[in-house]
Amino acid sequence: MDALTAHLSEFGHGLVTTVELTVVTTVGAMLLGIVVATLRIAPVPLLRAIGTAYVEVFQNLPLLALLVLFVFALPTIGITFPLFTSAAIVIAVYEGAYLAEAIRAGINTVGVGQAEAARAIGLTFGQSLRHVILPQGLRAVIQPIGNICIALLMNTSLAAAVGVVELTQAANNVNLVEAQPIAVFTGAGLAYMLLALIIGQVTGLLERRLAIVR
Amino acid sequence: MSILKMNFTGRRSLALTATAVAVALAATGCGGDSGSSAPTLPGNPGMGGDGVIAQSVYDAAPVATDADIPAGSTMEAIRKRGYLNIGGSLDAPLLGQQNPVSGTIEGFDADMAKLLAKYIIGKPEVKTTTIGTQTREAMLQAKSVDAVFQTYTITPQRATQIAFAGPYLTSGLAVGVRKDDTAIKSVKDLAGKTVIVGANTPAVTALPSAAPGSKQIAFGTDPQALQALLQKRGDAYVQDFTLLASGAKANPGMKVVGEPFTTEAYGIGLNREDTQFKEFVNNWLKKIQADGTWAKVWEGTLGSVVEGGAPTPPALGSADGS
Repeated sequence: MDALTAHLSEFGHGLVTTVELTVVTTVGAMLLGIVVATLRIAPVPLLRAIGTAYVEVFQNLPLLALLVLFVFALPTIGITFPLFTSAAIVIAVYEGAYLAEAIRAGINTVGVGQAEAARAIGLTFGQSLRHVILPQGLRAVIQPIGNICIALLMNTSLAAAVGVVELTQAANNVNLVEAQPIAVFTGAGLAYMLLALIIGQVTGLLERRLAIVR
Repeated sequence: MSILKMNFTGRRSLALTATAVAVALAATGCGGDSGSSAPTLPGNPGMGGDGVIAQSVYDAAPVATDADIPAGSTMEAIRKRGYLNIGGSLDAPLLGQQNPVSGTIEGFDADMAKLLAKYIIGKPEVKTTTIGTQTREAMLQAKSVDAVFQTYTITPQRATQIAFAGPYLTSGLAVGVRKDDTAIKSVKDLAGKTVIVGANTPAVTALPSAAPGSKQIAFGTDPQALQALLQKRGDAYVQDFTLLASGAKANPGMKVVGEPFTTEAYGIGLNREDTQFKEFVNNWLKKIQADGTWAKVWEGTLGSVVEGGAPTPPALGSADGS
């Protein structure tokens, strides 16, 4: 236990970075997910194709490969982002693909009549989406979105491989001094579990408040 | 006119997706694992060009007598099994790196493991388990591996968990910079600078005292850290001297400045309860240091990038914790 208590400030900094990364990427991935899901149901074939290509590419490539590619390949063509920004962009883009599919599933639960009625009273595609389809669609998939957010939290640990000192990297650094892998990584694991439980609780709360009982 | 009508099974979109994936995968293949466009395995032109030690070194290496291997000992169990089970690396140039063509593992650590296997079994049969630097103590305590050969720095903290035979090699941390950099001449110039380090290497703990106020960025592998230095993500790269020397040889864009500023003693990690095995391994180290095998292995591997001949092997038990 000493191995944990003696390095609380390192763990604290790592935890804060993990939380920051999770919050920033969750917001980014949600926005991307909504845009891509919209593309996938758009009436224009080209937009649908772009949405499909986005999802298939980012869902089917390993996150670590994307991270390494983004961090080390882009500077060769003269584009260099700070490491935290790089990790945030890549994780948001990657998780955005998963969220898009969850959101699309939600949209598909909204009855066709709803969309037809929205168009019949003169709403444009964008208006019907914003005021009729998405509010109902998102409420149907709160739980799957929560699950993806938990997966996103776990995936932030991969940022350690490209130099971001988040919780996993902080645990690595502490273990380097203490050589107590079981205690150190159990501590880090418990911190991840705590964060995941919080996300789960928030998801449950939102679900009870917002879900539409049909 | 429903906006919910979906049709995505067309052959066209499938072909489009396949093309996009192929392009992305090709791009990953180029820059994914090492980040460098032309991976170069360091080698020694004078030693046959590949940095591999000659078969004759294995043939001449000593084998333990039956008297050295008592019944019921770890050594006997290894001899019966027919191979030595070690923990090591597959991606450390000159120390333990798997040759992508032949599949054999080359380097100082890998060769030392083979020689220990030869000493116990009579033939250099080694099964290498790649283990992260985080889990070495746990693997040894659980006896998942017989020994760890992985530039395992001997520290008093680690010695409370496991036993170290040796030290069998000493090295030190040095500073690598971009070739056009003239401001940094030694570790003293790193104060307040951004320094790239290898994750889970001794540099992480050594830098705060050697260069106060320096900011660290850690990368998982040596090629990544080198690439980050060349792409100006940091002002310098602090790493083991031999690794930096081999990196500088493969990458004309970087150079090593100053002398090593720490002394790291590397030991062979063993289970802590098994004092008999530790004594046995130390006796083996004594033998190969005395008969010149150690120097031949050093020249064939690390010697290919370091000026001058083989150094004097470190004295057994000389490090705090061995």
